[in-house]
Amino acid sequence: MERIATGIPGLDEMLHGGYLPQTANLVEGAPGTGKTTLGMQFIHHGIVVCGEPGLILTFEEFPQQYYESAASFGWDFRQMERNGKLRIVMTSPEVSKADLEQVGGRIEGLVQEIGAKRILVDSLSHFERLSESPSDLRSIVYGFINSLKREGLTAVLTRESMALLGESEGADDALAFLVDSYTLLRYVEIESAVRKALLVLKMRGSDHDKGIRQFEITSRGVEVSATFEGREGIMSGSPRRMMDSFVQAFVRH
Amino acid sequence: MEDIELDLTGRLMADMDPQLLEFLQSKVNSFVKWDLVNFFYDSPHTTDTAENIARYAGRSVGTIRTDLAELAQDGVLEESRLGGMTVYSLASDPHVREMLEQFVRASDDRQFRVKAIYHIIRGMR
Repeated sequence: MERIATGIPGLDEMLHGGYLPQTANLVEGAPGTGKTTLGMQFIHHGIVVCGEPGLILTFEEFPQQYYESAASFGWDFRQMERNGKLRIVMTSPEVSKADLEQVGGRIEGLVQEIGAKRILVDSLSHFERLSESPSDLRSIVYGFINSLKREGLTAVLTRESMALLGESEGADDALAFLVDSYTLLRYVEIESAVRKALLVLKMRGSDHDKGIRQFEITSRGVEVSATFEGREGIMSGSPRRMMDSFVQAFVRH
Repeated sequence: MEDIELDLTGRLMADMDPQLLEFLQSKVNSFVKWDLVNFFYDSPHTTDTAENIARYAGRSVGTIRTDLAELAQDGVLEESRLGGMTVYSLASDPHVREMLEQFVRASDDRQFRVKAIYHIIRGMR
């Protein structure tokens, strides 16, 4: 089965080689967990290693901010734009949605101009201002995702989670049903230090590693490493040693 | 005497590339337009509404609406209708893009900026 490698050490292994082609892949996490870095790495790997040009659709950050962030990992996004391998489009959800709905829109034109195969949408959270109704929002995002697939793009869609530690409350999980894969990035407190955990919660049409892995943002980008050995309750944000849980469960105080 | 000094200053300030001077006087003739062309130079693939462009520029929509429309009239931007919205994008005309690039690059130079500010203020009178 063809795979679209992210180029992220450890993550591709969890995804059994990468995302499936022309799929929408949600990456959710709190501010600073590395959602955008993960998405930029996916775009960079596509251009440099796989020969697959990419688009970045941003609803908040300026292209300059992507150039600077990418440069900190040694990725020259500005040069990639000059070489016609990358386009960074700053726009709004309402305009990009309307643009993709029409025939021969600007985004479609950019996809054709550079032969884009990958897209980073940063972030899907901005669609929430288009409607207060969850069902309308679901319909809007469904149409948007389908328009990306129609263009032959494999997408990484970021989404912000407000909870710094543990599960986010009140998150609209309807969007999780619309995407083909769903990856969670979480802060985890272990012995007075904050670490980061990654979990691939869902991957439609393929098996995947269900382990909760540690990851770091290094000078080379996101690097996913081992699982949290001997811990449980990782995604709660405050994991316990498994022995502690055993004692709590079986020993009466 | 004052007129002579003003004329001398005027001549000193006019000492810039004639094409850039023309571009400045006829198209980027306000500080808001200067901000807007800088924004579109940095983000050349943006297509958006006046409301959203105002947010990106950190100004109110009332402040930029007229200048956006004038930039579109002057061919620096393109105005179009999209899904019931009026949207603006950078003109695709290669000559306009070339002039814009020259203008933004020249603006890196303090002397040029001083002269440009002088012309914008004079144009406002």
